[in-house]
Amino acid sequence: MITIKELSDDNLFTAGHTACPGCGVAMSIRNAIRVLGKDAAVYVPASCAVVFGTTFPYGAWKVPFFHTAFENTGACLTGMQAAFEKKGKQVISVGFAGDGGTYDIGLQSMSGAAERNEDVLYICLDNEAYMNTGIQRSGGTPFGAWTTTTPVGTKIQGNRRFKKNLGDIVAAHEIPYYATLSIGHPLDFIRKVEKAKNIRGFRFLHMFTPCIPGWKMDPAKTVEVTKRAVESGMWTLYEVENGEKKITYKPGKMKSVKDYLMMQGRFRHMSEEDIKKLQMWVCRKWNLHYKEKGAPQICEIAPPEEHHAVTEEHREMHGP
Amino acid sequence: MNPETSPNSPRTHQQPKKVITGDHAVAIGAKLCRVDVVPAYPITPQTLIIEHIADFVSDGELDAKFLTMESEHSVMSAAAAASASGARVFTATSSQGLAFMHEMLYATAPLRLPVVMANASRTLGGPPGIWCEYNDSMGARDSGWLQLYVEDNQEALDMVIQCFRIAEDKRVLLPVMPCLDGFVLTHTVEPVEVPEQEEVDLFLPAYIPDITLDPARPSMIGTFMPAEYIMELRRQTAGAMESAKKAIGEINDEFARRFGRNYGGLIDTYRMEDAEIALITMGTVTSTSRDVVDELRREGRKVGLVKLRFFRPFPSEELRKVLSGVSAVGVFDRSISFQGGGQSYNEVRSALFGMTIPIINHLAGLGGRDVTREQIMKMFEITLKAAKGEKVNLVNWHNTRGETL
Amino acid sequence: MFEVRFHGRGGQGAVMAAQTLAEAAVIEGNYAVAFPFFGAERRGAPVLAFTRIDNKKIYSKTQVYAPDCVVVLDDTLLDTIDVVAGLKPEGIVVINSKDKPEDIDLGKELRTGAINATSVALEILKAPITNTTILGAFAKATGIIKIESLEEAIKRRFGEKLGALVGERNALAARTAFEKTVIGKSKGIKKLEPRKQWLPTYQELPVGGALVEGKTDAGLIGPGSFIENKVMGWATFRPLRDKEKCTMCLLCWFYCPEGTIVRISDRGDLMTNYDYCKGCGVCANECPVDAIKMVRARV
Ligand SMILES: Cc1ncc(C[n+]2csc(CCOP(=O)(O)OP(=O)(O)O)c2C)c(N)n1
Ligand code: SF4
Ligand code: SF4
Ligand code: SF4
Ligand SMILES: [Mg+2]
Repeated sequence: MITIKELSDDNLFTAGHTACPGCGVAMSIRNAIRVLGKDAAVYVPASCAVVFGTTFPYGAWKVPFFHTAFENTGACLTGMQAAFEKKGKQVISVGFAGDGGTYDIGLQSMSGAAERNEDVLYICLDNEAYMNTGIQRSGGTPFGAWTTTTPVGTKIQGNRRFKKNLGDIVAAHEIPYYATLSIGHPLDFIRKVEKAKNIRGFRFLHMFTPCIPGWKMDPAKTVEVTKRAVESGMWTLYEVENGEKKITYKPGKMKSVKDYLMMQGRFRHMSEEDIKKLQMWVCRKWNLHYKEKGAPQICEIAPPEEHHAVTEEHREMHGP
Repeated sequence: MNPETSPNSPRTHQQPKKVITGDHAVAIGAKLCRVDVVPAYPITPQTLIIEHIADFVSDGELDAKFLTMESEHSVMSAAAAASASGARVFTATSSQGLAFMHEMLYATAPLRLPVVMANASRTLGGPPGIWCEYNDSMGARDSGWLQLYVEDNQEALDMVIQCFRIAEDKRVLLPVMPCLDGFVLTHTVEPVEVPEQEEVDLFLPAYIPDITLDPARPSMIGTFMPAEYIMELRRQTAGAMESAKKAIGEINDEFARRFGRNYGGLIDTYRMEDAEIALITMGTVTSTSRDVVDELRREGRKVGLVKLRFFRPFPSEELRKVLSGVSAVGVFDRSISFQGGGQSYNEVRSALFGMTIPIINHLAGLGGRDVTREQIMKMFEITLKAAKGEKVNLVNWHNTRGETL
Repeated sequence: MFEVRFHGRGGQGAVMAAQTLAEAAVIEGNYAVAFPFFGAERRGAPVLAFTRIDNKKIYSKTQVYAPDCVVVLDDTLLDTIDVVAGLKPEGIVVINSKDKPEDIDLGKELRTGAINATSVALEILKAPITNTTILGAFAKATGIIKIESLEEAIKRRFGEKLGALVGERNALAARTAFEKTVIGKSKGIKKLEPRKQWLPTYQELPVGGALVEGKTDAGLIGPGSFIENKVMGWATFRPLRDKEKCTMCLLCWFYCPEGTIVRISDRGDLMTNYDYCKGCGVCANECPVDAIKMVRARV
């Protein structure tokens, strides 16, 4: 396994790109491509990354870069890989798509590529909203979060739905490899990218990538916030290899989700009641992943009885 | 048919003829072009094309990557990506499918990715229908794709081969969309001469693009582009479209020399020599119109036919030249632009700007309604009236209940 | 017609300033429009906004090329951008700066109103957000708008979005700046070389805009060429590493989103290339032995 020290000095995603200071997406891209190396060709759909990574005639990528649209990462990777194979070239086709480009508009294209088990590497840079268009809600936006389309109003405050369980959706395609990553856990990060690099078939790396303006946070805290996400159970580090799920890092003691929320302006408006709701959702997730109850003082407030996604509003709309 | 000007003669090479559908002919054309990648998605009346190609690949007759995509948007995405990665790419679609991939048409052309995609012309709903109408491809006329309409199954096959030559020509490097009439060609069998593979190989060399997505020589294709550059890029694409005119002519002539079938390039004409009026047609209506012209000629009426083969690039100069002696022009359209008449009509009018002859639009066959000899006869009749200075409608809806012609 | 061009950086609120000025002009019974020039760049990158004011309806929809006034929200922009380009000879510059007009080198002697908007904002708003503060200076320096109208416009626009209290405070910031603005003449010494730009004709433009690594008179293009884009101007702070404390764990090197911390002397030491440091502070925050301190980028 590669350690930080053994990582290449080659900057395959060069400085001078135009991401915001402290951007978690830029940080993840840089390190992912550093592990993947020169023999990669990259597709980036419409997203922040396409804009801050290339602006004609400039580009940060030192590996081949392709872009056409927003919703077609799975398909473009399929086409690239087909051409490389037909021409007998050994190239890793890698996609770097946002959460919007994966959870929502690009879900079909991703699913198609996954189901066909295309020999490509799909990386989802999950910053939990449509950032390139100025912070709108996506299927990856967590419960309670402010975005410009889930504003904090007098009647409705923030996003009312819970983050879509993309991991299970992707893994249900019975692909060789799905893993979640966080930039705040470098060794786990490097190991998973390296592993994905060397597996054949459809690999999916799901990266948790903080966004400074979108999460309304201090740019210096990009890494710290990912650590807190994992410690609280908001984000879980695991991998599913040929159907077998393995937790790759388990936090020692569950931290309250509130610690995590209060680092970010997007959550600061949340009512105690909403925080509790979210906490219950996290507790359930914790239970599912780690096969144990979360910390008693946190998770035994009111054990969640129902499916996490069934909220009050849901019941109002659809009946019990 | 007039043997001197018919596109199917004289023949220099006599190949054994196969009795096949238009879709089958297109698939064979693609196979002869040794395409590398074929992303596919089914839609009537195109489906037979990709089914035949799947057979070729499964039987080892064609060494290509056949990709069963999950939508047309993904088909054109994969096509663009494979093309940018250096592959020769073919696919086919129709109506709703073409509409669904609309966004990606606009990605392929300016990036200069020479994909060839057959379009089986079909009504774009709603309301849904599966028969021949050109409102599917007409919506794509401003995407930067070359677009042509064929008349029979032989032309369908031959044009797939020519299309790759045109698309990959360094002066052009644009994607090309040969359109064949849904059902009237796609599902109709007729004898087709299948060229020898060796001859096609001589005519169509391997595709070797200058820049591809190659880690040995990293490139950026499709970068975010500010206003300082995009205007020049548009100008460049427009220039390529303009250069395509010359390339189409030259490639047509070379094809005629090698294979003995001359389609005339951008346009084809029939009995135009001393014609007093002309009808401009597209697709299979051209074929039926040849008979009608013969009949009218027998009656002593000096009528001629202009087959609009390429819609993009639009043959304005060629039309002006061939129509310089006529006293009225009828323009057939199989789709309506909801602005005065059909798209061909509008384009022809601007092509003939400054000429004072009447230009009369004949809308017929929308939604797949059969375009009969009688209707075509009527088109000539109305155009003749206009030539004589009689008052006629500029836009005529043929065989449409409630309309009087 | 009075035309204003605002120079700021993404996140500083230049667009909001332009809009608020327009609203103030409308309050005075004039007609005004304000609009941004949206670049593709993110936080910290240079941005432009414009305001046009007239006593009758304004039809012009183009950008402003010959402004009557230029407003500069961030004087670090002076290092890389000719902010006074096209300014009318009798035009005026309003600038956020610690210096007096006489000490500000704009490359031309121009009527200049200077205000330390950052310090006013820090004092009153408790945040370095200077867009309302600078408007106070604008009112003082140009005299084309009353401070009262600006206060009203600020209360309306900010109050609406962020609550009445925020509106009041921002209005106060503008009033304070109005009183503190110093008017004088700028220095005209330095010559700013306009940044070279590769502008190919359509015939020269590579086919389809596809680029491989290349070099032009204006520098590198294609893969990896973003290193032409020095971003140090974005940084408010920059990291200083204490070599003695550093254990060479390489975490800062790993995390830096810009890749501007590099290994040197046979991988035995690190160096930060400040040309590309945006001052995010991640390196300092993550250093396990607190070997990195963030210091003000410019003193
Ligand atoms: C078909 C289509 N719809 C909408 C857009 C506008 N658009 C561009 S990027 C983007 C948001 C991207 O969000 P995400 O995928 O999460 O990436 P991020 O910018 O957050 O990294 C949107 C909505 C588009 N380019 N194409
Ligand atoms: S908006 Fe967010 S994701 Fe986009 S560049 Fe800025 S920090 Fe990165
Ligand atoms: S402050 Fe940010 S950009 Fe600068 S060196 Fe540290 S991590 Fe890199
Ligand atoms: S993080 Fe701190 S200790 Fe580690 S290499 Fe950087 S400065 Fe040295
Ligand atoms: Mg996102």
